[in-house]
Amino acid sequence: MERKLIFKRMVKSKFFMTGFLVAVFVVIISILSPLLANFDPTANALVDRLKSPGIAGHILGTDQLGRDIFSRLLMGSRYSLLIALVVVSLAAVIGTFLGLVSGYFGGRTDTLIMRISEIFLSIPQLILAIAIMAMLGTSVFNLVMVLVITSWTQYCKLARNNVLVQKNMDFVHASQVMGAGNMHIMLTQIFPNITTPLLITISQQFGMIIMVEASLSFLGLGIQQPTPSWGNMIADGRTYLTTAPWMVIAPGVALMITVLAFNFLGDGLRDVFDPKRT
Amino acid sequence: MAEKMENKSRKPLLEVRHLKKYFTIPRKGQLHAVDDVSFQVYPGETLGLVGESGCGKSTVGNVIMKLHKRTEGEMYLEGRDVFASDADKDAFCRKVQIIFLDPYSSLNPRKTIKDILSEPLLVQKIVKKGPELDKFLEELCETVGLSQDLLNHYPHELDGGMRQVVGIARALSLNPSFIVCDEPVSALDVSVQAKIINLLMDLQKERNLSYLFISHDLSVVRHISNRIAVMYLGQIVEMADTDMIFQNAMHPYTIALMSAVPKVSVDKKVNRIVLAGDVPSPMNPKPGCRFAPRCWMACPECSNKTPELTEMEPGHFVSCMYARESRERAKTAATVSVEKMMESQ
Amino acid sequence: MEEKLLEIKNLRVRFVTERATADALNGVNLTIRKGESLGLVGESGAGKTTTALASLKLLPRGGQMLDGEIYFKGKDVMRMSKRELLDMRGHRISMIFQNPLTSLNPVFTVGEQIGMVLRQHKGLNKKQADEEAMRLLETVGIAGYRLNDYPNQFSGGMRQRVGIAAGIACNPELLIADEPTTALDVTIQAQILELMKRLQKEYSTSLLMITHNLGIISELCEKVAVMYAGRIIEYGTVREVFSDPRHPYTRGLLGALPKLEGDRDRLTAIPGTVANAQHLPEGCRFHPRCEHCTEECKKQQPEMVQVKEEHFVECFRGGKFDG
Repeated sequence: MERKLIFKRMVKSKFFMTGFLVAVFVVIISILSPLLANFDPTANALVDRLKSPGIAGHILGTDQLGRDIFSRLLMGSRYSLLIALVVVSLAAVIGTFLGLVSGYFGGRTDTLIMRISEIFLSIPQLILAIAIMAMLGTSVFNLVMVLVITSWTQYCKLARNNVLVQKNMDFVHASQVMGAGNMHIMLTQIFPNITTPLLITISQQFGMIIMVEASLSFLGLGIQQPTPSWGNMIADGRTYLTTAPWMVIAPGVALMITVLAFNFLGDGLRDVFDPKRT
Repeated sequence: MAEKMENKSRKPLLEVRHLKKYFTIPRKGQLHAVDDVSFQVYPGETLGLVGESGCGKSTVGNVIMKLHKRTEGEMYLEGRDVFASDADKDAFCRKVQIIFLDPYSSLNPRKTIKDILSEPLLVQKIVKKGPELDKFLEELCETVGLSQDLLNHYPHELDGGMRQVVGIARALSLNPSFIVCDEPVSALDVSVQAKIINLLMDLQKERNLSYLFISHDLSVVRHISNRIAVMYLGQIVEMADTDMIFQNAMHPYTIALMSAVPKVSVDKKVNRIVLAGDVPSPMNPKPGCRFAPRCWMACPECSNKTPELTEMEPGHFVSCMYARESRERAKTAATVSVEKMMESQ
Repeated sequence: MEEKLLEIKNLRVRFVTERATADALNGVNLTIRKGESLGLVGESGAGKTTTALASLKLLPRGGQMLDGEIYFKGKDVMRMSKRELLDMRGHRISMIFQNPLTSLNPVFTVGEQIGMVLRQHKGLNKKQADEEAMRLLETVGIAGYRLNDYPNQFSGGMRQRVGIAAGIACNPELLIADEPTTALDVTIQAQILELMKRLQKEYSTSLLMITHNLGIISELCEKVAVMYAGRIIEYGTVREVFSDPRHPYTRGLLGALPKLEGDRDRLTAIPGTVANAQHLPEGCRFHPRCEHCTEECKKQQPEMVQVKEEHFVECFRGGKFDG
């Protein structure tokens, strides 16, 4: 599609612009968080425990151990985004590749890959993640692995469905009759044509992964104390919901805004690249 | 005529013998898309392959291009067995190329024209990226009359005719001697179609190319072909020199097909033979003549005995038991009545 | 002269999309008389279908009528009430579409679809409608007992015949056929053409045949209008126009067509590409491709001139070219 038209649509799409701007804002904040944090996010200061927002330089108050919530929120965003980034990249690469192979070669290869991905799809993501994390123990590496294992099928299905359409296009046949190898055709001819739907899925999955990571951390199976994460911050705040509601509200709102931003971005991208629009 | 006789004494460039392609359709049986087809194409010659949708003409092209695996049959390029295990696959790619029907799906929308045209050269390692490639592309553009400014454009910026020119240029880039043209002008408007046909004919003269020209359009096939093969349900029913087949068509299907085409003529006297019913699918075909259920001169015998492709006059092959009398009977054959149309359902 | 059935005057239609603005029709004048069969011929994008849709007040989204008047039997279509419009569409004028796969609704039987037209416009009850639908199916060569079959049980050619049956159900005064055989095989096309010829004789319906196929026009129509870039550039009887084409574009089209008889001369391709509706040239829309182009052609839009009793051409030189 024409670049100009895409740009025009991007600017016009409210979903896209909102999602894009908020997402960029969140990313910048998390990159700059060491500079913006005015307290050590892991330093306990029991004297200052459960301070309300605004008191003694604690913009968003403190938690039950007297740690500054604003600083923890900023540091937590780094973990959430970084984990989401690593998970989405790994899952996208693995899933897309398997999907490409599955769709392109068909036959038994296809059946095998599709059956495996159906098995993964049939188990609820969170329950599978809980089971694996409980079995393997909690660590950032295990967390990433679990999230990749439970999310690659999305990309695999997407890539496969698109390949099935693309591989019957005559430009693929043209490559075949000029003696090009299968890898060459898959990666240089077919892949560039599925980048658009892939991009949309990636941005939607990004929000999704942040959410699942927060849920796992909330349950104590994700990021471990004292390292801050939005999920375990909410978990901490549960018991103080009536006395110190800011402990839950701050990470909760941050989580909601971030996830929403990436979902908007995904929906916006879909609108922008919709070939049916004239 | 002298040229044609010379043709026969030469060796064929491409020879197809008893080619069969069956597709297995789950729970339905076997689709005999191509069922025992044999023909030769000589250097510098165009063989037109004509028929209606589902007659297997495109499948023949795809099997030749190895886009489909053959079920049975042999194919020889310059006398060498193409399907032999020791056959040089790259050499085949360089000698045999294809031009596709749809100029939209045949060019990758994400690639520039330059990428598209250089792909075969790079894949076959004929040239490396750099000035050598640029010079090659320059010459290629000149050959087909494509402006070099277009090289950095994307396919969607070109109209259908231009895209088809790019498709032709891509097929030519490996300097092949045989090109399968799979309905290359069917998706184009009349004025653009003429341009592409002229280009194909000029290139043929310049480079002594051979074409297998697949089309459903009789007038286009007549214009471009030296010889014509008419296909019906996976089989060649008639094959002859172009003039011979147009002046003296013998197979009842060919006669009906020719009469069916609406002609631009001021005098409105059309002696048309309208075939009843629809083109059936070649699914699990029964023995006997495949055209018999729609044939306007079918006898009970036709559905029992399978006719062979026989040489009725030098260079004119027909597969019909009553080929000798078909022209006489065509004069009196009436247009199919409504009642007959209903019967055939 | 017979009564004027459909009269289009100076019709101008523009399509505005996100990408661009396209001038689809730029002053179309067209008249179809009672009992007449008119072929509207042109290449893709010439504005054939838009002309038909505009005259039924059915322009797709993004289409704006900038100028022009459309009269059906002397009545202004643009000022018709909703009821009059519904009566005109389907009853007085009916349309047959190009794609027989999508023009029938897959969830209704063919009998129901034909019957629907009859019940709405002719006020027949269910039983009468069924009987009439059966008769219509048989008219187009489909056995009447197939009334209760669904469209997917028919082949492409038969579906198009069902479409024709629905089209003639109300005995319309004008039948618009938009490329009715383009999606069909030659032998099936022949069936449809023979059917339409027969119906022409039996019913006194006027026909507007939209096609890019000059052969079909030559067989079915008395009059032909050649369209280029949203204007009718030549109009006349089929005999006149095809035997003595005057407009350089019409000449080009006829020369570009490979023939089934006679010598196989080199085809004369029209130079250049079809005018782009987004950037139409000034003056005569055809001038960049015309070998007889003069300074006048580049600046001014030529008017339709009469060259013979029933032959008009939109060219400054009236189709007179030396040599």
